[in-house]
Amino acid sequence: MTSKKNIKSIFESILFVWGEPLDVKIAADLFDMHWKEAYDCFKELQQEYEVQDRGIRIREIDKSFQLCTKEENNVYIERLCTPVKEKRLSQSALEVLAIIAYKQPVTKGEIESIRGIKCDRVIEGLMKKDLIIETGRSAAIGRPILYGTTKEFLRYFGFTSMKELPDIDDIESIIREQEPNHLDFQQIAIEFEKN
Amino acid sequence: MSYKVKLDVFEGPFDLLVYLIENAEMNIYDIRVSEITSQYLDYIEQMKKQDAVVAGEFMVLAAALIELKSKMLLPRTKVEGILDEEEDPRDELVQKLLEYKRFKAASEYLEKQEERMRGIFTKPQEDLAPYALEPDEYLNLDMSQFMKAFQIFLNKKKKLEDIKKRYARVERQRMSIEARIEQMKNFFLRKKRGTFSELLDGKTSRYHIVLTFMSMLELLKQRAITVHQSVNYGEITLTLCQEQGHVEIPAGGGFDDQ
Repeated sequence: MTSKKNIKSIFESILFVWGEPLDVKIAADLFDMHWKEAYDCFKELQQEYEVQDRGIRIREIDKSFQLCTKEENNVYIERLCTPVKEKRLSQSALEVLAIIAYKQPVTKGEIESIRGIKCDRVIEGLMKKDLIIETGRSAAIGRPILYGTTKEFLRYFGFTSMKELPDIDDIESIIREQEPNHLDFQQIAIEFEKN
Repeated sequence: MSYKVKLDVFEGPFDLLVYLIENAEMNIYDIRVSEITSQYLDYIEQMKKQDAVVAGEFMVLAAALIELKSKMLLPRTKVEGILDEEEDPRDELVQKLLEYKRFKAASEYLEKQEERMRGIFTKPQEDLAPYALEPDEYLNLDMSQFMKAFQIFLNKKKKLEDIKKRYARVERQRMSIEARIEQMKNFFLRKKRGTFSELLDGKTSRYHIVLTFMSMLELLKQRAITVHQSVNYGEITLTLCQEQGHVEIPAGGGFDDQ
């Protein structure tokens, strides 16, 4: 029987080779162990990296693990390299994605009614980026396609699971906390007859 | 009331309306419909003047606003004469705007998160093909083997595209002329004379050749070296001007030892 220490060391090597998020189940199969057991090994490994304050960290994405660089070291990586300007998501893509993330499964019609504007192309783009996926069809008239977010969505935004997304009603206060000079809008009431 | 026209592209009619309401410092629960409608229509006029294509959706909301404005003019009393506060004609619009604002905020949150994640790097999977049980032997190819090879090629291509989609290339900045001159300086520490190909040191990338050539011209300009080429397209010989053992590459001026 391979010792736990050994298993963790093997997992570490596998994570390095794999690069991409590695499903715990795949790793567990290597040792014929229960996925929960493998999961705990990965968690311990992750903890060890944290405790030792390593430059490489292990992050969890939906029961998968991946090696990545430590966030705070970004400045130095940028100093060493000239990262090619990464394509960021457009404002409209972010809006559509936010709606899908919080209302999934959701139809295109529902998204359009919230934004007040068509979004066929945006949805197409998000599908191509694997950030959303068709999850089925609604029972409504015309059986419209339902959309939901993917594991890639979690990876892209750095969430461990969908549970990590803050409650939508808290978001405005979260953003406001980050920007202290947010102005509260004055409340003005006027009689409409005067207009 | 005056207002500034923000020329950014609005994500949609609600985006524009929310902006106008906030800019006019209005309470979203108590929108001054008449004022906001005229501002909204003005904005659409501006868009038209700038030849921007005004999406149909903007017009739909314009129509809805005008309808709302006319409803607001009607006395809001019921037959019994009691002011009906439950049914403010603006309610529906307010609810829609509030819902839009919530998701707008969520999208801003996602954007922040996206920005954070841009600072965290991961690497693509190692090429595991050599460990797959397919030896790279395609000498006596029959049709099925050829197809297999083609399949492998397609898979590789797909994999590469997948990697490109999710990873940005991060590379060290290319060498600057200053740094190259520094290197050439070290070269001349060892010998006083050398050919251009010696300087290239076997590195034949176009960038490296051009960089070396530019650095050579810079050194020539600074009169740190002399350059000789006997025939067109022939080898270039570089000779150090100074007889002393060390080379100084002044930042601004040149050598005036001659």
